[in-house]
Amino acid sequence: MTPAVLGRLAGKLCLHGSWVLAVLLAAIVAGIAIGETPISLSLVFQVLANKLWGAGFVLDPIDEGIVWNYRLTRALVAAACGAGLAISGVVLQSLLRNPLADPYLLGISAGASTGAVLVAIMGLGAGAVSLSAGAFLGAVAAFALVALLARSTGAVSGSGQIILAGIAGSQLFNALTSFLITKSASSEQARGIMFWLLGNLSGVRWQSVGLAVPMVLIGLAVCLWHRRALDAFMFGSDSAAALGIPVRQVQMVLIATVALVTAVMVSLVGSIGFVGLVVPHAARLLVGVRHGRLIPVSALSGALFLIAADVLSRTAIKGQVLPVGVITALIGAPVFAVILIKAKGGR
Amino acid sequence: MNSLPMPVTHTADLVCSQLCWSIKGTPIIKNVSLQVLPGETLGLIGPNGSGKSSLLKLLSGVRRPDSGQVLLDGKALSDMKRRDIAQMIAVVEQQAETSDAISVRDAVELGRTPWLSALAPWSRSDDEIVQQALLGVDMADKPRRAWHSLSGGERQRVHIARALAQRPQILLLDEPTNHLDIQHQLSILGLVRSLPVTTLIALHDLNQALACDRLAVMDKGELIAIGQPADVLTCERLSETFGVEAHYLTDPYDGTRILRFRS
Amino acid sequence: MPLSRFAVMAASLSLSTLTFAASPTPYPLTIDNCGVPLTFNQAPGKAVTIGQSGTEILYTLGLGDKVVGTSLWFSEVLPQFKALNANVPVLAKNEPSFESVIGKRPDLVAVQFEWMVGPQGVVGTREQFAEVNIPAYIMPSDCEGKDNLVGADGTRLRAFSVDSVYKTIDQLAQIFDVQARGEQLNTDLRTRLSKAQARVEGKRPKDASALFWFSSADLKVDPYVAGHKGIPDFMMQTLGLRNVVASDEEWPTVGWETIAKANPTVLVIAKMDRRRFPADDFEKKLQFLKSDPVTRNMDAVRNNRIVIIDADAMQASIRMFDGIDQLASAIDQFDLRK
Repeated sequence: MTPAVLGRLAGKLCLHGSWVLAVLLAAIVAGIAIGETPISLSLVFQVLANKLWGAGFVLDPIDEGIVWNYRLTRALVAAACGAGLAISGVVLQSLLRNPLADPYLLGISAGASTGAVLVAIMGLGAGAVSLSAGAFLGAVAAFALVALLARSTGAVSGSGQIILAGIAGSQLFNALTSFLITKSASSEQARGIMFWLLGNLSGVRWQSVGLAVPMVLIGLAVCLWHRRALDAFMFGSDSAAALGIPVRQVQMVLIATVALVTAVMVSLVGSIGFVGLVVPHAARLLVGVRHGRLIPVSALSGALFLIAADVLSRTAIKGQVLPVGVITALIGAPVFAVILIKAKGGR
Repeated sequence: MNSLPMPVTHTADLVCSQLCWSIKGTPIIKNVSLQVLPGETLGLIGPNGSGKSSLLKLLSGVRRPDSGQVLLDGKALSDMKRRDIAQMIAVVEQQAETSDAISVRDAVELGRTPWLSALAPWSRSDDEIVQQALLGVDMADKPRRAWHSLSGGERQRVHIARALAQRPQILLLDEPTNHLDIQHQLSILGLVRSLPVTTLIALHDLNQALACDRLAVMDKGELIAIGQPADVLTCERLSETFGVEAHYLTDPYDGTRILRFRS
Repeated sequence: MPLSRFAVMAASLSLSTLTFAASPTPYPLTIDNCGVPLTFNQAPGKAVTIGQSGTEILYTLGLGDKVVGTSLWFSEVLPQFKALNANVPVLAKNEPSFESVIGKRPDLVAVQFEWMVGPQGVVGTREQFAEVNIPAYIMPSDCEGKDNLVGADGTRLRAFSVDSVYKTIDQLAQIFDVQARGEQLNTDLRTRLSKAQARVEGKRPKDASALFWFSSADLKVDPYVAGHKGIPDFMMQTLGLRNVVASDEEWPTVGWETIAKANPTVLVIAKMDRRRFPADDFEKKLQFLKSDPVTRNMDAVRNNRIVIIDADAMQASIRMFDGIDQLASAIDQFDLRK
């Protein structure tokens, strides 16, 4: 690798990386400044100044705590989850050659719901296991089942089988969830679990950040590493094999990565839909289908989308918090329709 | 069609021996052994279901045989990494489709995949190779055209350009002219013949097959004949394998022999 | 009520009850129970209860011997009735089946929640009970001024009024022809209420506020807190505390950010036996309040003005008065004038 090439690469990274970071930072600050109770922008900056370099402003500890421990963490996790779900959507849509693939195709969201319901309604773990832990275990169990189903069909290229296995697994776990809710939930429990099922960022603190951000960075790194392989799947997996891609290996690594990232996100914040489905399509309209650009742009778009959705969920109705999944659906569905129309118009 | 200024290193040879392959118990390829000579254009013909596509998949390494070996330059395909195989063999499928909004240039650039890596990222020479490939298939004036706006013939030419961008030593084509109109069929066949790479091309049209250096005939998964077209495509063979009565005619226009099929 | 206490009460209040002498019930008795007329030709000989509150009211009225089946328990029975209750069959810990209820051939079914026997009744509808000639009596505290078909726990159209509890006691006493006991009980309860109010008089600043925290789906998630119009709100109003929650729902979820900014003077947290959510355990609630970087700065947490009250006291029952007593005595001890 010549110094000239290195220099070009580094230059490109700095240029693109810096404006990506700038946009993300602006979105996060906006996400911190807008919330349930009014907190002025100057107060936000003062809190950040205090915490980041000990500026020493005298502030109400409650305000400081709200900005630093509640809102900042929520914005960071929203960004991480949005990015994680978006790149998972990109990877699955490319690998499985299906524009309707989304991260929940692998049964993960359905399994997470069942796990959470088992904890919340059946009392599994007797109060020692949190909703998140139960959800994660459920997600992993469902994915394992789906993977087993897909493999046992013995398909060589497998994308069709993976989709079918994923649908079967999702239906099974969704049915289990419904059964458990109708059989044993009091109205209070049902309400609690419904709120979680539709996506909820209110339980997020710094521990969640410590889980979500590294996870999405790892996922981003793995997917970007495989960007050329993902491009090669353009004409199908046989074509990719002919172009020198070890298809089976790449599929396993990428699907496992996507599954892990999605499982972690879903267990932290519940099932937030439409991000993994719509954001990749929007990004494709913006920058095309080459994954070297598509993956980072999807990640950024997903992050922005979810930060905005979370802010909306807290401020749309005064005094009430809507589930984030409702907002993403309300925005995502019409946006998806517009994208479809624009894409069709091009044909 | 421009003649390509493509650098020719030594062309590899592709040999398969005793290949057997079955799907769910049904034998698809039975005991096929053949050698593709360096530099030749070998035509693969046979009735539908004779196993032409399957044989090409085995030869390119995309599928693994149940028994038997494929040797590329003396090395077994099963011992080689996919990337190394792809640097030597390029495949043009019968019909490779995508619903993505990909441009012509993007599609051809995919052909450089086996040569790119973290240590060897995209460089100017890759640009030049892609440009040459586009020139070779006469699509250099439309690099930004979207995939869905191309005709069947143009799409197939882009696939061939992609295969050319791979700079292979062996080119495998699976009935590349099947659903094209006659003008494009002829131009693609002419292009393929003019390439200085070893070519194995599966064909449907028997008259077009006559133009190959050698012909291999498959029937029900077995290789039943291989040799010069005139020796292989005898009237008996046509009747036995293809179930059709035919005889040769000499065209007064330029003296070439063509087949006339009788009903 | 223990007999000795009953005697004392009867003696001291005999004057006040002379004007409204406890007369025997004229049968046949028809009462309007939330729009449904119930007719009794005589005092019921056997009763089945659905809901711990009804059970304990009947016990308190000395009608324990008439109860032949109980169901829908939230916690252990009041200690003074432990021995009595041990002899009464428990039909179900949660909702009983329709057949198990009518299998006891009761002359009355006393129901705590309308959603047990209402139009979408979990046990059975009132019409179903009427078909087998069993009057299903719903406690007015849950069906008067409340639309139980809207909202997860029903929606109160009017704020809860303690009169509905007195009315329950009155009506049940009337039905069973023990009106004297009913009046005594109500007077006793009224006295407790005014005593509690007197206790906190002058002990709190003008704008003292409070928040009732029931539980949360997960410890860090938005908690279920008491809104307006419900029983906790009534308790707060009785003792002159402002509810910091703005919602009219009985148990809405409100974010910790909003609660922290509202900074209530007193925090009330629920104690319960159920262990479904980690937050059910009041110790965990306390731990959360003290360790969370935002809530630990709330005035109530820093000055340890946290009251722990049984979850059952937050329902319309006799225990409600226990809860009010607890809260009053806590306020008495806190000295909210800071």
